[in-house]
Amino acid sequence: MAVALAAMVPVSTRAADYPDVIPGRPLRFPEDHGAHPAFRTEWWYVTGWVRTKDGRDLGIQITFFRSRPDIAVAGRSRFDPAQLLFAHAALADPRHGRLRHDQVAARAGFGLAEAATTTTDVRIDRWSLTLEGSTYRARIQAADFEMTLAFAASAPVVLQGDAGYSRKGPRPAQASYYYSRPHLTVSGSIRTGADPEAVTGSAWLDHEWSSEILDPAAVGWDWIGLNLEDGSALMAFRIRDAEGRPLWAGGSLARPDGTVRRFTEKEVQFVPGRLWTSPRTGARYPVVMRVDVPGLTVMLSPLLDDQELDSRASVGTIYWEGAVTATAEGRTVGRGYLELTGYFRKLRL
Amino acid sequence: MRLIPFLVLVAAPLRQFPGRTAIAVIAIALGVALGLAVQLVNSAAADEFGQAARRLSGAADLVVRGPQAGFDESLFAQIAKMPEVDVASPVVEVEAPIVGGEETLRIAGIDVFRAARLQPALIAEGTDPLDLLRPDTVFVGRSTLSRLGLEAGGRVRLRNGLEDVELRVAGVLAADSPAEYAALMDIAAVQSLFDRSGVITRIDVKLAPGVSRARFVAALSLPAGVTVQTEADRNESLSRMTRAYRVNLNVLALVALFTGALLVSSTQALSIARRRSQLALQRVIGFTRRQIGLQVVGEGMLLGVAGAVLGVVAGVLLARVVVSLVGADLGAGFFAGVRPEVRVDAMAVVLFAGMGMAAAVLGSLGPAWEAASEAPALALKSGDDARAFRPLRSPWPSVSVLIAGAGASTLPPVDGLPLFGYVSIAMLLLGTILLLPHLVPRLLARIPVPRSVTAALGLSRLRAYPVQAAVSLSAIVAAVSLMVAMAIMVTSFRTSLDQWLQGILPADLYVRAGDGGDTAYLSGDKQSAIAALDGVERVEFLRWQKVFVDRSAAQITLLARDEVDRDAEARLPIVGDVDRRASALPSVWVSESAAAIHGWRPGDTLALPLRGESREFLIRGLWRDYARQSGAVLIDRRHYIAATGDRLANDAGLWLTEPSRLADVRTALDALATGGLTMMTAGDVRELSLTIFDRTFVVTYALEGVAILIGLMGLSSAIGAEVLARRREFGMLRHLGVTRREIGVVLGAEGAGVAAVGLAVGAVLGFAMSLILIHVVNRQSFHWGMDLHVPWLGLAAFFAVMLIAATITAVASGRKAMGGDVVQSVREDW
Amino acid sequence: MLTLSRVRKHFAGTRPRVVLDEVSLDLAPGEFVAVIGESGVGKSTLLNLIAGLDHPDAGSIVFDGVDLASLDDDRLTLLRREKIGFVFQAFHVLPYLDLAANVGLPLQLLGEDAGAISARVRGILEAVGLGDRLASLPRELSGGELQRVAIARALVHRPKLLLADEPTGNLDPETAADVLALLHRSVAESGAGCLLVTHSMQAANGADRILRLTPGGIVAG
Repeated sequence: MAVALAAMVPVSTRAADYPDVIPGRPLRFPEDHGAHPAFRTEWWYVTGWVRTKDGRDLGIQITFFRSRPDIAVAGRSRFDPAQLLFAHAALADPRHGRLRHDQVAARAGFGLAEAATTTTDVRIDRWSLTLEGSTYRARIQAADFEMTLAFAASAPVVLQGDAGYSRKGPRPAQASYYYSRPHLTVSGSIRTGADPEAVTGSAWLDHEWSSEILDPAAVGWDWIGLNLEDGSALMAFRIRDAEGRPLWAGGSLARPDGTVRRFTEKEVQFVPGRLWTSPRTGARYPVVMRVDVPGLTVMLSPLLDDQELDSRASVGTIYWEGAVTATAEGRTVGRGYLELTGYFRKLRL
Repeated sequence: MRLIPFLVLVAAPLRQFPGRTAIAVIAIALGVALGLAVQLVNSAAADEFGQAARRLSGAADLVVRGPQAGFDESLFAQIAKMPEVDVASPVVEVEAPIVGGEETLRIAGIDVFRAARLQPALIAEGTDPLDLLRPDTVFVGRSTLSRLGLEAGGRVRLRNGLEDVELRVAGVLAADSPAEYAALMDIAAVQSLFDRSGVITRIDVKLAPGVSRARFVAALSLPAGVTVQTEADRNESLSRMTRAYRVNLNVLALVALFTGALLVSSTQALSIARRRSQLALQRVIGFTRRQIGLQVVGEGMLLGVAGAVLGVVAGVLLARVVVSLVGADLGAGFFAGVRPEVRVDAMAVVLFAGMGMAAAVLGSLGPAWEAASEAPALALKSGDDARAFRPLRSPWPSVSVLIAGAGASTLPPVDGLPLFGYVSIAMLLLGTILLLPHLVPRLLARIPVPRSVTAALGLSRLRAYPVQAAVSLSAIVAAVSLMVAMAIMVTSFRTSLDQWLQGILPADLYVRAGDGGDTAYLSGDKQSAIAALDGVERVEFLRWQKVFVDRSAAQITLLARDEVDRDAEARLPIVGDVDRRASALPSVWVSESAAAIHGWRPGDTLALPLRGESREFLIRGLWRDYARQSGAVLIDRRHYIAATGDRLANDAGLWLTEPSRLADVRTALDALATGGLTMMTAGDVRELSLTIFDRTFVVTYALEGVAILIGLMGLSSAIGAEVLARRREFGMLRHLGVTRREIGVVLGAEGAGVAAVGLAVGAVLGFAMSLILIHVVNRQSFHWGMDLHVPWLGLAAFFAVMLIAATITAVASGRKAMGGDVVQSVREDW
Repeated sequence: MLTLSRVRKHFAGTRPRVVLDEVSLDLAPGEFVAVIGESGVGKSTLLNLIAGLDHPDAGSIVFDGVDLASLDDDRLTLLRREKIGFVFQAFHVLPYLDLAANVGLPLQLLGEDAGAISARVRGILEAVGLGDRLASLPRELSGGELQRVAIARALVHRPKLLLADEPTGNLDPETAADVLALLHRSVAESGAGCLLVTHSMQAANGADRILRLTPGGIVAG
């Protein structure tokens, strides 16, 4: 566990060379729940809705990033910045009016910041996300809130794209390995004031790793992950260019019976609705969005408008990551998260 | 009394004697300027260091520090994981010589992610964030960049071992980032490039909310030689390092102020003597004693204000000039590489301006009291003769001041400062000046009566007016005694240093890896190669580093030299006893300063931190070391290598098979290290050391010169004033058939007489003061001893010059004051 | 012995004024002449010119057969030293020398040997009635006594000419009369000529001749 990740990375004094994401590599678990240090970028992304004892809905987001920076590493120091780890946590509370969020960053090493390769076990100081059996556990000690949550998985793993090979652009290498864990049952506690409050709810985890994900023309993407009330799970994304046109798109609908309908790039439409302007950055986000996939059209409306997240101190960007309710024909059909990146500036990974 | 007429009354006499007024003002201004400049320069330097440290550690509460060579990096992980700790940020510091220059670059290797939690703004905007992680990039402070002639995007070559390391200057540090470190790099890069693998030198710690320093320290087990400091501790130890030096300069400033006060006093006393009848008339027409007194004090105040204003302006300018020319350490070499901005500190300005005014007012108090207490009728009647016959006050108060002063010199230092030494010097000076009216006639009686009638006349006059002579003398006695004291102290120091250097440098050639910094070294291979050089008979290698002992705030230098166990007693300049008992413990020899600071004695056991382990040594004896003020300890390199495994060396001393091989050996060494070695013969080292010594004392020399000049001007003004006051006497002598030249002789005799007495008193007093400077002030400030050496020849020349100068001054000022109408002055003008 | 011929002196300044206008005067050896005049009429200037401490604008001063105009400052000083004695209104006795030293000063300046000086000083101080006060300091003396000392000093070196400037000006009438009597007696004994200037008729009494100095010139009183 405490073995320095840096030591496992191929030592190179040249700038890093990354393995390509290629189709046909079967994902194996539990190993693929763990980190893939050779790849350039990786993340474990948990989003969900929870409800307090007194019936308030809260949106939660916990993300751990791993990055292998494109720099030469001398390989003689335990501080070598071979692997960098970042994490965000955000709490959407309508009573608070905007996101509470915090972030940490560290180079991997010394048992202080590590990402295990055997299963999901990433930690940065007092922040961690681990998988024990079929339950993920997250501990977050942010500046103005704390979360201690368990996410129990009952549904099977949803491999996105072609058995986990998820294309993100016109070139085959513009892809990631990507799987999702929808319908995680959440239990635990969240503290914002003096005392922790017990919460329960439903969440979604994405684990994705790649070396070259975005086409140079891309400025950002829109993404949704929705736990639908009928037990199915809808994921959809599109990559946008500078004019807002889709460069690529994709998604899937996983049914409770375990079958998955995968959408081609032509089958997914994002239609922006109401725009919200951030008073801090001036960025305009389509916080109301219509998403069309074959057989289903959902309208997304946010738990609260201001779910903008400033992560410049860790991954270096500002984006919108918000809890949304999905309705179809006026009826609530599910809940989940909408991610809107590249509206502040072009996204760089 | 309304203000305006009062001011006119006060200002008019000052205008009447512009020269004398100017000298008093200049003396006050000098004191103010000096004190303020020293204060401003020093606070600029201290600020720079304090802020630099604060800027890097930002919100850190504590700093964990170890020896210069660092400590095991695992301590960082241990501390970071403690529940008492909120943020722990590891730093590895090196100071690397710049290839092809004389400068070094102080680099802090940081983990930007952890450092940013304490201090977010380290790097100027617009740089590639990955450059903070790259193994070959460095960010350099703007001032350092321009000083070294570098630019962003350029390259800088540094020395590690005897090899070069080339770095890209990736950007500029943010405007408010630490200047203590001229440069920042990634911690891994520094460890890899400068052979610091596994080692860090500090950890900045921010404690979790509610955790006290004590709780943190209690929860921690630190390796030997690693200590926990607050920023305050660190600043304290930095400022302690320079404090004694600074206090010395401040005392010189106070001396200037004191001389200023004396000059104001003599100016006022003489001015009052001159205006005696006028003041008496004022009394007659209805001025109260109080008003007369206030008038005189008001005059002094005016002098003080003028001096203070002038002094503040000059002080700020002086501070700027000194910082840009000599550096923030006033030439003492404490803050190499720091060129801070001089900021005008309102508090300091108020303080020193206030002290200038206070000096002037204090100087006027005596004369004011005298003027106020004069019986007007008597003053009106008898012209200015009566003052000559004022009865002398009892000598006992001044004698008791002298005795108390001598007693004060035996008291211990206060908080590491020789305050009582200074008190003693001040009291000796004050007591002597108070005693002058008693001393002067006794000394004058010893001067043989000259054959010349006129010269004899001058001498008789002096003998008859001891109080007046004493007033003229006080400034010159102060100046001369301080000059003599400083001259003896500096000579003693310099001669002792010279003798010490000759003893401590027995080898033919000294070789150092790199010039400054702590990254250059001689590897084991290079050491063998040097030892095997043709023409080299024997080599001794030296390894040194700075370590913490006793968990105290200041580091001492640990020296590990070859052959110490064999020849220490014969080679070292031993001070005091040596413990020669048989012991299982290895020997350590501690420097005088180290022993004084830590209270060590021969026979004590001393635990030295070696690679995180505490090792016991037996203190065999003390040795004199003028090189390392914070103290040094010397052990045999065998023990050092055994304990640390560190076989590197910083310096080497080479004995040649024959002296004529020197050039060959130098050439061979250059080839061996591709020019990376600094080579000096013992003579070179000695010459360089003495040059540095002299540079350090340049400020002192300059101040002494000024003090002498002021003393001389004071004497000149006093004699000028005397001549003015005695114009009737000279007029009468002219009637009696005394030529102008003969009157010149009278004055010259008086000048020479006064100067002779002043020099004699000043010499004795100065000698006493030099003993206090050497044995009390220096020992308590710097913890080192020196032998007394009096610069007889220099002092004799100085006295001769002073005597001649005083005589010429007296004649010249007399001639000037004795204008054409002196003949008229025999008539009653009242 | 002393002859002033048509001596003229004016002072420059913001208001130039003529002080002495065509003053002529003769003084025979042993003669006692008093010159009286109002304040500011030039009495002191007259004495300064005679003593060679100042120079006339026109006219000549011949003293002891020598035209003062032919002498430089040093020679004039030596002339004073050897041949002239001075008595001042304010005594001008050096406060830091005892009576013997004060009186002996002119002899010392002339370089006489100590024994001779001592005898001469003792004699003359006895003559002025202060023979028992040789070692006294001036501050122990009254005004009248101080002026006696001054007279002794003025005559100790047997000058040819004594110049006295208001010698009784600082004294009460009784003392003034005593001092004046002493002066007359001493001058007579020494055989010197004496020129006394005063504004007081009383002080002029007893002189061989009394002249009156007026802005217009000098006339017999």
